[in-house]
Amino acid sequence: MDTLTLDDLSGLPGLLTEEEALIRATARAFVAEQVLPQIADHFERKTFPDELVPELGALGYLGANLTGYGCAGVNMVSYGLMLQEIEYGDSGLRSFVSVQGSLAMYAIHRFGSEEQKQAHLPPMARGQQIGCFGLTEPDHGSDPGGMRTFARTRGNTFVLNGTKAWITNSPVADVAVVWAKLDEDSHKAVRGFIVERGSKGFETPPMKSKMSMRASHTGEIVLSDCVVPKESMLPLSNGLGSPLACLNQARMGIAWGAIGAAKACFESALAYARTRTQFGKPIGSKQLIQDQLVEMALEITKADLMNLHISRLKDAGKVTPQQVSMCKKNSVAQALRIARMARAIHGANGISLEYCPVRHMLNLESVYTYEGTNEVHSLIIGQGLTGFSAF
Amino acid sequence: MNIVVPIKSVIDVELNIRVQEGKIAKDGMSYIISKWDENAIEAALQLKEKHGGEVTVVSVGPDRASESLRKALAMGADKAVHVNDPAAEDSDSFGFAKILAKVAQRGPFDLIITGKQAQDTDMGGTGPILAELLGLPQVYNVIKLESDEPSTLKLNRLGHQGQEMVELKLPALIAANDSLNEPRLASLRGIMAAKKKPLDVLKLADLGLSPDEVGAKGARVRTLEFQPPKRRAAGKKFEGDAEEVTRKVMDLLANEAKIFA
Repeated sequence: MDTLTLDDLSGLPGLLTEEEALIRATARAFVAEQVLPQIADHFERKTFPDELVPELGALGYLGANLTGYGCAGVNMVSYGLMLQEIEYGDSGLRSFVSVQGSLAMYAIHRFGSEEQKQAHLPPMARGQQIGCFGLTEPDHGSDPGGMRTFARTRGNTFVLNGTKAWITNSPVADVAVVWAKLDEDSHKAVRGFIVERGSKGFETPPMKSKMSMRASHTGEIVLSDCVVPKESMLPLSNGLGSPLACLNQARMGIAWGAIGAAKACFESALAYARTRTQFGKPIGSKQLIQDQLVEMALEITKADLMNLHISRLKDAGKVTPQQVSMCKKNSVAQALRIARMARAIHGANGISLEYCPVRHMLNLESVYTYEGTNEVHSLIIGQGLTGFSAF
Repeated sequence: MNIVVPIKSVIDVELNIRVQEGKIAKDGMSYIISKWDENAIEAALQLKEKHGGEVTVVSVGPDRASESLRKALAMGADKAVHVNDPAAEDSDSFGFAKILAKVAQRGPFDLIITGKQAQDTDMGGTGPILAELLGLPQVYNVIKLESDEPSTLKLNRLGHQGQEMVELKLPALIAANDSLNEPRLASLRGIMAAKKKPLDVLKLADLGLSPDEVGAKGARVRTLEFQPPKRRAAGKKFEGDAEEVTRKVMDLLANEAKIFA
């Protein structure tokens, strides 16, 4: 008997335009050819496939949903489908794409001057300039308004001081978009600054020990009397809402991406269950295993359809932050659950990097926490429902 | 250099292909560009990038063929022609070649590049017949292509036990082997740009062809039926002492499979 695929269950392909389907198929081919053969090895050695960056640029995947400045200008659905295929490969590579495009490039695109856009966006779209985004600090994660990074006006310059932590891409970044309070300690004083590699007092030590996102560069940004010219401030940034708008941009993509990791785990578990024999039969013929596979497939199908629906609203300019939070929270929490179930179905083999679930499971622990923790998204949706802020 | 690339949209051969009532079931299948045709597109794009000119992709088939044409446009082709006419369905190689010849003759061209065969039928007939109808020289199974000047190609073609190096004056037809190049993936910018490129949809009448010249009516080679391949019987598994097992297997190879006879 012909077996069903996840696409058969959701009917997703029938809901896509010809372009969206082609973007999905192309990203899938890229990941199959260039990512899957090598990514487990990178994860084990804690290295990033740096040579793929120009390729990501040539394919138009960096800043894909921005318009102008060498960006492709695709819709949210296409962007989400592309990120899902990349994260089917690895969350670390998807994080690179999200940070470069949805955080660093988006911040410059939305809040930057024309000169800043011309100088940075085209080379960033080509992958010739790598960007990072410095908001989180060692002591200020879910509460970025408490940040202790400050910019002081000094003549024609700003002097930056502070430390940012858990910054994807920072060790290899050519430019950092850094958020700091300008001259006073208030939410309203938050501004974005473009700090270029080579600036005095700018350092990016890598995070030493991490058991997640191992195929990704993660580091700090340390600013010690770092002097930058006046023109490096993002002129349209104005208060804490500016970096939060960037996060909201990235979150929808992360919702799509996490389900890519879940699909990889599910497919691995399904293939394993159909061939692994115990007690004289494939374990996939057992009711307990089938129930788990069905549970996984159901959650993937529901998440895909919700992400598609909310992305269509976003493309129509009708989305709310609560809807985006709903997608991020649901997709990542379910993806992590699915990865753990898939890990268990693989038995002892599930802890080996020969199979993808344990790698995705470890990666998703980061995705669960970054871009608004699972709990912060509850607070956002909860405030929307009750009218009470529980932060 | 103006180049015409005929492409065929075929069922993704990685899927389970089903036969129903002597025909291949087409519903619910996904379709891809036949793989050697992708090499033909890539070769055409590289020549265009070197010498300028235009690449036109052509496909004969039902609505779904437009997906393959859009993909070729997204890779970088300039124009597409889709011959979408129910009367063209079930053409034999000769019928398809007749249609493609008419399309090629709509404008000046220097070169036609095809795949060496289609991935579904493995027939390899349409290209040579097309060259014959247009009175063109043809070089088949090309694995290397160089072109210092736009009027001439230097080609290596693969034979049974070696390569043949040839020089070819244009206009001509060549057919690509899959080792000729690595077809590029369509970039997002390419996919977005493809929406705005011209895709002409033509009927047979637009090409001056009558329905009985091609399609099932005009076919000289008629497909009688398809049959699903027979399922292979399960293999045999031997366990135990290595020497004993080897002896058993050798005995079966010699006396049952008779491979040494």
